[in-house]
Amino acid sequence: MKTKHPILLQVFMWTLTVIFLMPIYWLFISSVKSDREITQFPPTFWPKEFHWENFPLIWDRLDFTQTFWNSILVTVSATILITIFATMAGYALSKKHIFGKNVLFMILVGTMTVPPPALLLPLYFIIIKLGMYDSLISLIIPFGVTVFGVFFMKQYIDDVPDELLEAARIDGCGEFRIFFQVVLPVIKPAITTLVIIEFVNNWNSFTMPLVLLQSEDKFTLPLKLAMLSSESVAIPWSQVLAANLLTIVPVVVLFIVLQRFFIKGIMDGAVKG
Amino acid sequence: MKRFDLRKTDWTGYAFLAPALLILSLFVMYPIVWAFIASFKTINPMEMRQTGLFNIPGEFVGLNQYIEVFKNDLFIKSLWNTAYYGIVYIPITLVSSALLAIFVNRQLKGINFFRTVLFIPYIISIVSASLIFLFIFNSDQGLVNALLYKFGIDGPNWFSNSLLAMPVIAIMSAWKKIGYFMLIYLAGLQNIPHSLYESADIDGATPFKKFWYITWPLLGRITLVVSVLLMIDTLKVFQEIYVMTGGGPGDSTTTVPFLIYNEAFQFFRIGTASAMSYILFLIIIVITVWQKRAVDKKLG
Repeated sequence: MKTKHPILLQVFMWTLTVIFLMPIYWLFISSVKSDREITQFPPTFWPKEFHWENFPLIWDRLDFTQTFWNSILVTVSATILITIFATMAGYALSKKHIFGKNVLFMILVGTMTVPPPALLLPLYFIIIKLGMYDSLISLIIPFGVTVFGVFFMKQYIDDVPDELLEAARIDGCGEFRIFFQVVLPVIKPAITTLVIIEFVNNWNSFTMPLVLLQSEDKFTLPLKLAMLSSESVAIPWSQVLAANLLTIVPVVVLFIVLQRFFIKGIMDGAVKG
Repeated sequence: MKRFDLRKTDWTGYAFLAPALLILSLFVMYPIVWAFIASFKTINPMEMRQTGLFNIPGEFVGLNQYIEVFKNDLFIKSLWNTAYYGIVYIPITLVSSALLAIFVNRQLKGINFFRTVLFIPYIISIVSASLIFLFIFNSDQGLVNALLYKFGIDGPNWFSNSLLAMPVIAIMSAWKKIGYFMLIYLAGLQNIPHSLYESADIDGATPFKKFWYITWPLLGRITLVVSVLLMIDTLKVFQEIYVMTGGGPGDSTTTVPFLIYNEAFQFFRIGTASAMSYILFLIIIVITVWQKRAVDKKLG
């Protein structure tokens, strides 16, 4: 589209940028303020002095080494499982003859409309019965595949031409080799997108850990953070926000490095869904 | 002629599907069935401990629990609260994301940076965003009241005012989601074939006519989809309530999901929690079906 008033538009764009980034800017400058400065009113728009020690202080206070490790373990494991199982299932639903395939696919897509709170209670009991309650496994195996993931991969694999698979079959390629050496390389971009989306979802996951974990040494980052807001011991806001900033950094870095996959994934999903 | 021939069946397909199907059956489909059955039964949480994985104990009470839920004042209030959230959240997000999509769908210096900036709030967790907004709207240290103070306005105590708490939460959600819905609109806009605009140019159409006859009808279709997604978002609000207000002040931010959580995990009323879940589910189904019909009508 042609632009008639480039300067006006630039001003408009930068104003919006400032408004959108304001909460993040505020998070950053508040997290390095001193305990005294943070309680001042009106607040300062630039810290008088930078108290970087807020970060190590809150890190030790919350035992963040353990919490970070829990979050990394859960997020990485669940993302790997989701990616593998969703790709396999998406391939089967797209290219294989399976009895009742269309009905099954419709049921799966239908489950996406179920509101997550409806599943909390049954999941809680099922996971207790399986002996996984209050362990990190309970956040990995039950969430080792997502309907979204299967749906997303199926849509993508639908675009892989059947002739490609037939040609491999004629060359005497086995079914599993076809999957690994013919299909996987073609759908690499889709896999990358799914990995990022599921990584962020799991990293940010709060409700399931809240219901399924009990001991504090198993808590993941969002759970630990949420507990801060209801903590009876008064922790200064500067340190709460420092902890908050620490949990945000990994996903924001990941996003900035890999954003083109992210944005492409969402836009493709929008067109197809 | 397709017949189901056992010898010719390619069993590897089932092998590929098996892990996903096993997990989804046990942890998605079974819970859906479980909640449905539980909504018609009174279940004693103690009994629940002793039964097997596929047993749902308790006495069948028909629709009693649904009736009870509708007699529950707090449930009715939570429906209103949820609606109040939606009234703020849906229009703000819808209008801003559509306008921004039209705006970023052009060649302008720094536009990619701008798109990225708008999208960053989306990847921040709800818990983190809630903590940030809790601080920004803090009555005596927060940024918002500081800005109001500069204009000589005495800022209110946002989270202890039963009229203001919910809109603040809705504004936070809008901040988080605008970038995402902007991308969905953008995908739609970029899908309009350029040839349409070119032929309109040949016919001498004004920019307004091009917008009205080409862009707008297409945007209308996405708007329908986006508004349904926003309504579903509205019916899912839980984490922000848990972190920011805990349902208060005076139950004014108790949403349906938050109530379900409390019913289930604070009071262990399994039956009524399940009944509430299914009522919520039913509302979503009605909205989805209504949306599908509206889209079909528009297309056909």
